[in-house]
Amino acid sequence: MGPWYAAAALDGSIHQSAALDGLSCEGCGAALNVASGERTAKCPYCASPNVVARPRSAGEDPTFVVGFVIPEDDARKRARAWIRSTWFVKTAFAKADVSDVRGVYLPAYLYSGSATVQYSAQIGENYTVTETYTTTDANGKTVTRTRTKVKTEWRSLSGQWAAYLDDVLVTASRGLDNAELEAIEPYDLRALRRFTPKILSGWLAEDPSRAVSECAELARQEAVEQVGSRLAAHMPGDTHRDLRHETTFQHEHGALMLLPVWVLAVKYDPQEPPVRMVLNGQTGAITGTPPRSWIKIAGAVVVLILAIALTVWMGARA
Amino acid sequence: MSERVCTRCESPLEIEDLRCAVCALPTPVLTRGERPDETVAQILRCNGCGAGVRYSAEAQAPRCDFCGSLMEVEVPEDPVEQAEAYVDFTVTDAEAKAALGRWLGSLGFFRPSDLQAEAAVGGLKPLWWVGWMFDAAAAVCWAADSDAGAGRSAWAPHSGRFSMEVDNVVVPASVGLTAKECEILAPRYDLGRTSAEPRGHANATVEQFTVQRSAARKIISESLEDVARARATGHIPGGSVRNLRVSVLPSKLTTRHMAFPAFVLAYRYKDKLYRAVVHGHDADCVIAEAPLSWAKIAVVVAVVLATAALVVGALSL
Ligand SMILES: [Zn+2]
Ligand SMILES: [Zn+2]
Repeated sequence: MGPWYAAAALDGSIHQSAALDGLSCEGCGAALNVASGERTAKCPYCASPNVVARPRSAGEDPTFVVGFVIPEDDARKRARAWIRSTWFVKTAFAKADVSDVRGVYLPAYLYSGSATVQYSAQIGENYTVTETYTTTDANGKTVTRTRTKVKTEWRSLSGQWAAYLDDVLVTASRGLDNAELEAIEPYDLRALRRFTPKILSGWLAEDPSRAVSECAELARQEAVEQVGSRLAAHMPGDTHRDLRHETTFQHEHGALMLLPVWVLAVKYDPQEPPVRMVLNGQTGAITGTPPRSWIKIAGAVVVLILAIALTVWMGARA
Repeated sequence: MSERVCTRCESPLEIEDLRCAVCALPTPVLTRGERPDETVAQILRCNGCGAGVRYSAEAQAPRCDFCGSLMEVEVPEDPVEQAEAYVDFTVTDAEAKAALGRWLGSLGFFRPSDLQAEAAVGGLKPLWWVGWMFDAAAAVCWAADSDAGAGRSAWAPHSGRFSMEVDNVVVPASVGLTAKECEILAPRYDLGRTSAEPRGHANATVEQFTVQRSAARKIISESLEDVARARATGHIPGGSVRNLRVSVLPSKLTTRHMAFPAFVLAYRYKDKLYRAVVHGHDADCVIAEAPLSWAKIAVVVAVVLATAALVVGALSL
């Protein structure tokens, strides 16, 4: 059996909704979709106004979608509060206009599968021993005393572990990397719905721009990490070391889905590229790299050094 | 019920499943013929606790039987599953009230002495709460420490695996009752006394399945892990065991939609309302909160302290 993404490409699930129109941003190259007949003025990722119609490329329709819960107003408020609560941001950025939030459905793969693991490890079982030792007491005499000490006996253990993986979500958009998606996860997948073009009405949806094989690789990495931490928790004993395992992944499957995100491209300086913030459209979790003001940070460091110097000086005088 | 089966783990799929409840594989889109002809048009949803119950036209400005909040009519987006089997009510209203009264008198010293006499029991609501009942097969891998083969330490690690079949594992789908309440009620139903229609109480409310089964994947695997842990003890060598860990790979999970009878009651003591749940099948099972007598606790603490002081005093003489 080939990898899941090869199978997915063959099972005839690839079809196109006629109810969508394709758009393309000339600024950053993002491939977007809108419900038929709708237009958008600006690219949600780079705020470029140069968004033009494009023929839709062949690709699969998403299987699932999680809808927006956080309304636009709320997204704006959260963005503003987040900027305000971040330390040492550039003043121009702190004062910048954050009204231009754009909702976009982000393409992602929802990956699932099972893992069968053969492991071996050294399991540490603690025991206590009573030791006698000699020391000198307060009067300078040599005395014999006892103390208890915890020691570890190492025993080898090997075995199997098998389970279905917990949900793994990976980005399928080149505009948003996986670390950014992880920063605004989790999504509550109890709100999962089957995709219909209707749900896009009034919204933008991006086409997957990462190769499905690349997404599969990302998903596999997350799965490997998950197995590693679940296996470590499976180990008995007081401690363990040298945990080695060989994992076989089976029944892997990835379903293309759409996740709601609010994107905010803040243009605070004509010389600088816009700063992007991303908000989870379901929970409001937020991520971004706000521009720091080196002058503010340097100022704070100087004040801190002065305060320490003053304290030391006062202490020395007293 | 449905003949659709998950292509990955062979678990039967249900109409409302978007993903398999066991392995999370997306389910194929329903064909026209597979769509349920009879979907529930509307339910009543509680503004307070979120429970959904069967709609009835007679109820004007209805109150939630679980928590007393106002309810509103809702048209659910997805098909709502109905219970296939109702466990019969065998406890009557009067018996439920009496059971709560008995319970209030049985709480022991630290409760107010007049609790049983003064508590005004009222607001009795008979209802069926909903849950899934699972049968499944699963491959279990376990690891644990036991005293078998122990060296210098009292413990030695062991591992192994076995396969198991589980029947009639109840996983609550109730929104109106708490998980804790359901956990206590669930093991005490006589599953031999079930009917296809609600029986044993004419006026009882019927809760609806408003939680998706695939959303309960986590709870299902946790309950299978509980069963696996209990069964694993038979496979571990030695007498005492610690750090028992299991991994469970389920397959062939079948589900029945069940409704379980219970009473939600309220009683008033010294101007405060307390909630109580009485089993609809076994009146001796009462779950409720009750006030503590702070006066009695204070007296006991004072006596303990005085005794301790006396002992310390006597010892230092
Ligand atoms: Zn399955
Ligand atoms: Zn309620």
